[in-house]
Amino acid sequence: MLLPAVGWAQAPVSGSVLTPTPASVNCGLTLSGQVLDHETRQPLPGATVVVFDAATGQPVPHGATQTDGFGNYHLHDLCAGAVRVKTLFVGYADEVEDLRLTRPTVINPRLHPTAVQLRSVEVRGARPVAPYTQVAAELSGRALDATAGQTLGEAVSRLAGVTVLQTGPSIYKPMIHGLHSNRVAVLNNGVRQEGQQWGQEHAPEIDPFLAQRLTVVKGAAAVRYGSDAIGGVVLMQPAPLRDSAGVGGRATLVAASNNRLGAASVTVDGNSRRLPALRWRAHGTGRRAGTTATPDYYLGNSGFAETAYAGAVGWAPVAGRWGTEVFYSHFATRLGIFAASHVGNLTDLQRAFEADRPLQPYEGFSYAIGRPYQHVRHGLLKATAWWRPAAGGRVELVAARQLDLRDEYDKHRPRNNELSALNRPELSYQNTTSTLDLTAELPARPLLGGTHHATVGLSGTYQDNTFRGRYFIPFYTNRVGGVFGIEQWSCGRWTAEIGVRLDRRDLQVERTLGAADNFAVLRNRFVVWTPAASVGAAVEAGPHLTVRATAALTRRAPAPNERYSRGVHNGQYEEGYDISLAPGAAPLAPETSRALNLTLTAHDNPRLNGELTAYVNHIDQFIYATPILPPVLTIRGPFPSFRFLSTDARFWGFDLSGTYTPAPRWTVLGKAAIVRTRDLRRQDYLIFTPADRAELAVRRELGRPPPGSGPGGSPRFYAQISGQAVARQTRLPANYELLDYRAAPAGYALLGAEMGAALRLGPCPLDVSVAGTNLLDHRYRDYLNRFRYFSDEMGRNLTVRVSTRW
Amino acid sequence: MTHSRFLALALLLAASLAFPACKDDDDPKPQPPANEGEVITTLRYTLTPVGGGAARTAQFRDLDGDGGTAPVLTYDGGAARLLLDKTKTYTGAVLLLDETKSPVDTISNEVLEEADEHLFVYKLSAPTPADLLTITRTDRDANMLPLGLETTVAPRATPGTGTLQIILKHQPGVKDGTEAPGDTDIDVSFGVEVR
Repeated sequence: MLLPAVGWAQAPVSGSVLTPTPASVNCGLTLSGQVLDHETRQPLPGATVVVFDAATGQPVPHGATQTDGFGNYHLHDLCAGAVRVKTLFVGYADEVEDLRLTRPTVINPRLHPTAVQLRSVEVRGARPVAPYTQVAAELSGRALDATAGQTLGEAVSRLAGVTVLQTGPSIYKPMIHGLHSNRVAVLNNGVRQEGQQWGQEHAPEIDPFLAQRLTVVKGAAAVRYGSDAIGGVVLMQPAPLRDSAGVGGRATLVAASNNRLGAASVTVDGNSRRLPALRWRAHGTGRRAGTTATPDYYLGNSGFAETAYAGAVGWAPVAGRWGTEVFYSHFATRLGIFAASHVGNLTDLQRAFEADRPLQPYEGFSYAIGRPYQHVRHGLLKATAWWRPAAGGRVELVAARQLDLRDEYDKHRPRNNELSALNRPELSYQNTTSTLDLTAELPARPLLGGTHHATVGLSGTYQDNTFRGRYFIPFYTNRVGGVFGIEQWSCGRWTAEIGVRLDRRDLQVERTLGAADNFAVLRNRFVVWTPAASVGAAVEAGPHLTVRATAALTRRAPAPNERYSRGVHNGQYEEGYDISLAPGAAPLAPETSRALNLTLTAHDNPRLNGELTAYVNHIDQFIYATPILPPVLTIRGPFPSFRFLSTDARFWGFDLSGTYTPAPRWTVLGKAAIVRTRDLRRQDYLIFTPADRAELAVRRELGRPPPGSGPGGSPRFYAQISGQAVARQTRLPANYELLDYRAAPAGYALLGAEMGAALRLGPCPLDVSVAGTNLLDHRYRDYLNRFRYFSDEMGRNLTVRVSTRW
Repeated sequence: MTHSRFLALALLLAASLAFPACKDDDDPKPQPPANEGEVITTLRYTLTPVGGGAARTAQFRDLDGDGGTAPVLTYDGGAARLLLDKTKTYTGAVLLLDETKSPVDTISNEVLEEADEHLFVYKLSAPTPADLLTITRTDRDANMLPLGLETTVAPRATPGTGTLQIILKHQPGVKDGTEAPGDTDIDVSFGVEVR
């Protein structure tokens, strides 16, 4: 059986921490939420929720209730401290969650129907993933299952406020509130993903099948996740290792019609009966797709082949004070790049744009991947140890090493036969990163009538980047040392949080000049101190309304590509700011971001729930690429040319998402996002800002209601129809024809549908779904897809997903 | 007890994973570029008068590749443009070099070997008078399509100036004798004067 969907934090807050509970501790806390069937997402009326004191194992006063007709429960007047929340319902496995109650808390237990033998599953998880006062959106359970077979970027783009920077049908980079690449941190199982994030067509090297939960922290979260997370953070969190005896697993199969994608993923979790402290996991995924079809033609050479595997072994004595885990994951992909997009100079580009379909000989469907293509491999070795002192609190040490290899092959091999026979990549990078993080959570203490607890941490990174082949970014080493502290205080309905962080980044760059006979190396060193601070507050303004506000100050040091890139990449010439600096001139300065975020969340209402986020992010010295005029002349003629410069910029906008239940088993889901940008020095818009977008879906659930029908009950079905509309981006910088090869494409609207059933295969649940996207086979292009210059987007696509657990 | 076990474990982890970070000697140092990729640094167009006389050359050279130091255009004798005699006819030959390699790699030989995948295109822009000179490709590939490494250049009798653009198209599998298909491997322009 799959481990239940209980959160697993990057730096997990301990479960059963012994917290002294003196009389001064706040005893006015509420615990509320909704109990759901994990598979059907049906609310479970009449389920029992009991809260136990983690220290004594006894139920706490006011700590038991039953869910109402909508599956909702409310517990009031609970005291702060470590508790265990147990949810029970006939026909379902008990769900247990340990947490430290320091503020009004919402838990939505998702119960798994029991298989033939009733087994108790107990997961000691830890809730607060993101800072509580910060807005975060997550994909888990069925919403995550509905993205099976997609890349990480595609999956998180389902969340309001998250869009993607796309390169054709297979490369997706997450973009949060209009910011991306160097400004978005991606955490792969608690470790910052380090590779070649700067590239617009360099997608995160992560297998999302491993995730139990994908969380996006919207807005600056630098204090916790490192000083460049100005835009936000994407967290890929696997399920915790199994801690009940036995072996369980999950298998998923995905097939799609358009590019004939096939994906298979298997995860097996085990816990030894004889050595209950020993937990392990093995995971493997394969994804293969061929040529993508637009409504009118195929995108030649757009297939990909991806394999990923991961393994983990953990040792944590049951109810012990320490634990350790070693995790390894490997990701490899070979991504074909649509050949007609790999053009020569400006003249070739013009010719490609003027044609309404790609200039290439007709190609049919094929799984073959030829030049140009990318070959990317990423390995992560992570070792974790944690310890809970008897006095309370938790200490965790995480050491990790990552190796990222990225080879990019041009369209043509060298003409020289000997060189051609080597078949070397024209661009090849190797990045090795070692990180060490020590985090200590201090035990909660009473303070000013409430409870406070502090978290302090140290982190160190050593990174080394080399290349072979053509120069684009230099050799560099990056040494980062940081220290942070987060203090959280809660009292009654209020929670406040203050965080500070200081990093020292020491970047040493080595560039080569000339060839063998007149070879020289130029060295530059940049030491930048980047402080970060944040203040946040949250209040339960009512039993169903949470208000959160945060203010954050962050500095981001310029990345090596912003300083020293030079060359043609993706059909455009790009150069860093420092590489072409006049002697004596000042190098690129760090960015300083001042961000404000306000979020209103309506939750656990019987009918209307939703979340509204408003944000503004003011970035001084915002580093961006601006065109060089006249364009740089090469032997292949002039190329569209860009140089990194800095300006002052402002990003602001709104995200809205909500659900409405007009009648039982009907749900209307909606979301919308608006991003506005401003270049404050030139008093103009910034280029490549996501266009306004909105989505509306209607969902109907069918089948008998779950009570009594848990094990082996009748199938439950759902069907959903959805429409997505994206406007044309009209807020464009002046003289746009000089900045971009082509005007922003027209807006578009797409129709989608999905239906699924939760069936049973003997004792095992079997989830089956069919989803269709772009059902009307609409021809469209998206402003943030780099292939919009050359081709339309993918046409109609039907995806079948089957998954089972045991 | 558990405390010391944790510490021991922590130290082990720190030692195994973080220590390489402290050794600067492990850093790979930049090496001279390996002779693996292809860079065309130089195009030299040599015009030899039919029946004897001094040859005229025009050269485009960009030793550090794309960007950086701007490419250098040179004409023989330090002239500002390619000077042609209106009374002569010239045989033109294109030489392509990769001067980042040692020894220098002659790319035009490889173009000749793969003649069926390549096409040179010669264009005269803003010529005054309009019929300043005519350029004829005289070599052909195995499919009897023009190649253009070799040319005949015949100035008209009237003096004048213009810009000569030399384009090399790489057209593997799609060569049909026209400029449109394929990718541009070279696109350089020279000033030309007939007197």
